Amino acid sequence: MPGHRTKGFCATAAALALCAVLAGCGGSGDSVGGGKVVLRYTWWGNPDRAERTEQAVALFEKQHPDISVQTSFAGYDTYKQKLATQAAGGDAPDVMQLDYRQIDQYASGDVLLDLAKQKAVLRTSEIDPGLLDTGRVEGKQYAIPQGRGTETVVYDVKTWKESGVPLPRQGWTWSDWADAMRALAKKTGKPGGTDLGWSEDAFEVWLRGQGKALYTKDGGLGFTADDLTQWWTFTDKLRREGAVSPAEQTTQLDGTVENTPLGRGKAVSDANWDAPASGFLALVPSGIVLAPMPSGEDGTPGQYFKPSMFLGISANTGHAKEAAQLIDFLLNDKEAARILGATRGIPVNETIREETEPQLKDFDKTVADYQSSFEGTLKDPPQAPPSGDNALQTTFQRDYDQVSYERMSPREAAENYVTEAKAELRS
Amino acid sequence: MTTTDIPAPTARPKRPATAPKRRPKREREGAAWVFLSPWVLGAIVLTLLPMAVSLYLSFTDYNLFDPPQWVGLRNYTQMFTEDPRYWRSVVTTVTYVVIAVPLQLALALVVALALKSMKRGKAFYRSAFYAPSLLGASMSIALVWRAVFNDGGTVDNLLGTGGWVNKPGWALLAVALLTVWQFGAPMVIFLAGLQQIPAELYEAAAVDGAGKWRQFLSVTVPMLSPVLFFNLVLQTIQAFQVFTPAFAVSAGKGGPADSTLVYTMYLYDRGFVASHMGYASAMAWVLLLVIGVVTAVLFRTSRSWVFYASEGDR
Repeated sequence: MPGHRTKGFCATAAALALCAVLAGCGGSGDSVGGGKVVLRYTWWGNPDRAERTEQAVALFEKQHPDISVQTSFAGYDTYKQKLATQAAGGDAPDVMQLDYRQIDQYASGDVLLDLAKQKAVLRTSEIDPGLLDTGRVEGKQYAIPQGRGTETVVYDVKTWKESGVPLPRQGWTWSDWADAMRALAKKTGKPGGTDLGWSEDAFEVWLRGQGKALYTKDGGLGFTADDLTQWWTFTDKLRREGAVSPAEQTTQLDGTVENTPLGRGKAVSDANWDAPASGFLALVPSGIVLAPMPSGEDGTPGQYFKPSMFLGISANTGHAKEAAQLIDFLLNDKEAARILGATRGIPVNETIREETEPQLKDFDKTVADYQSSFEGTLKDPPQAPPSGDNALQTTFQRDYDQVSYERMSPREAAENYVTEAKAELRS
Repeated sequence: MTTTDIPAPTARPKRPATAPKRRPKREREGAAWVFLSPWVLGAIVLTLLPMAVSLYLSFTDYNLFDPPQWVGLRNYTQMFTEDPRYWRSVVTTVTYVVIAVPLQLALALVVALALKSMKRGKAFYRSAFYAPSLLGASMSIALVWRAVFNDGGTVDNLLGTGGWVNKPGWALLAVALLTVWQFGAPMVIFLAGLQQIPAELYEAAAVDGAGKWRQFLSVTVPMLSPVLFFNLVLQTIQAFQVFTPAFAVSAGKGGPADSTLVYTMYLYDRGFVASHMGYASAMAWVLLLVIGVVTAVLFRTSRSWVFYASEGDR
């Protein structure tokens, strides 16, 4: 396939050329140690997830003495950038954890292997067909979801209780949330929570609470500059009142729990995905509780069950079968499921889910209980975001930085964002 | 007063009568190419070829995944006419260069002067001041820097500033200070230049009644001007390409509020975050041209202020 070769060459050359300017690019090769098949497996996450993943991988290596797995992980932002560079250079890891936002781009860019080719070793019969479908692009299964997640307002339970402010309850609205933030700030002397203006994810929940969506069915922008202006005006006002975190805190957010105001002990709550919230256990010694995200004013829930993480195989892997074996092990092996718990959401294998749910301990149980409290009440998830969204997530935060540092009005920033989003989605 | 005390040149050693026979020219060239080959190969494969490809890509729309699409000059026109963040990155970079380079050179010169007149412990201090240049380029030092200037960090605790890296007005200064701190390389060059200045010139100036300051202005600065020029050109070129400190101090985002979004950070953002490799390549070529022009301008101005000792003989 000559076209393909040119592309890989261009990518490598482009990467090299930019490296010459930027410096600091590291290389990695496919090393083979002692005749073993060496697989590279990468994911993003927190140290808790890393520890358990290492244990599961060690077990896999024990069961397959001829395979050795090299693992690496990073925070979400870093991971996203590194993977994009590797994928472009034709050097994607054999097995990679993917986000909903990446699948469309990577599948259409021929980075991912069609998993139907590995049906013999990779069993999917026990995964809910609807959930499995979220890993399909144009009829081909490019990735398999590993779990489902949903957003949550996570809070320092001791501080919130002592403040006397009413605790969050099922069905609370965004105005209830704002009132709680103000009351907490007043009673505790520190912001009630993270300024959510930075987060495209939180904005999506807010939009869905009004029956709108981030993207239309054909991959266009699903909201207007007016909607975004309204959201940023809302969050900016809370920031000015000191009810949520100041710009200096908000600008440091990068998806890791360590960099949230709650994680730094500078706020009472945060909004995050439920699985990574386990990271707060080590940071907030007095304990945390998961509460639902606020609903729209008429009670419409905005949060949804999102296929939280996917596993895919590189189209360029020399060891497709072994890579498929690793994925099969991570998804369908009972022992692996016991080790991994709910670090990537509740298991997708239904038999395993039913068997392990009663045995879940500690925070895994918290997440499972949290999710089951929504069973049947949430709306359907949106379809996978279009390719351009991958970059827009960063743009969203940047534009809000301009608002929180009072360099632009919410309206100016919102119009900036919408202009860039439209250009990004068109290309 | 005569100058006849210069000894007459003694007879030069004679060339051996029978010079060894030289190898044929072609053979010598062959050997040269053999020894050069690793470098030539590296230059072609790692520099020239990628540069050619990047020049080509700068005229295309290339998202890393699909084949490049030829768009002519669109990347360039978009950059200059439709991209406010591009211009913000240009302003940020120029500001950075204007802050960091003079500060760094001034510090390097002051320390070099202090070291020159030092009697003891010179070697120790020279190494101590040079060390940051060796370490400073590394990511780990940049991360330490971020921690030092973060809220709750050392500087915050000492000065109660609330952390510089989180304030749009201060973050670029924190980045610049990281560069200034690495003044070791220009310092060593200054020191070498200072030691070349003949002591007689200072003695003569002292006899004429010049004080320390006058000596510095009338002897040190002109005699040092070639070295100063060399350092200025080198550091300016480097400063235009600043990346690591800005990347680390802003955690890879060029924040807060784009205040540390230097040129190469924005280039990185376009290429590796937004997957617009064509646009990023175009930016890289514009940077190359600008650095070329700035260097040429510096050389042009140097005629009026750089003094070469050899000129005096003419």
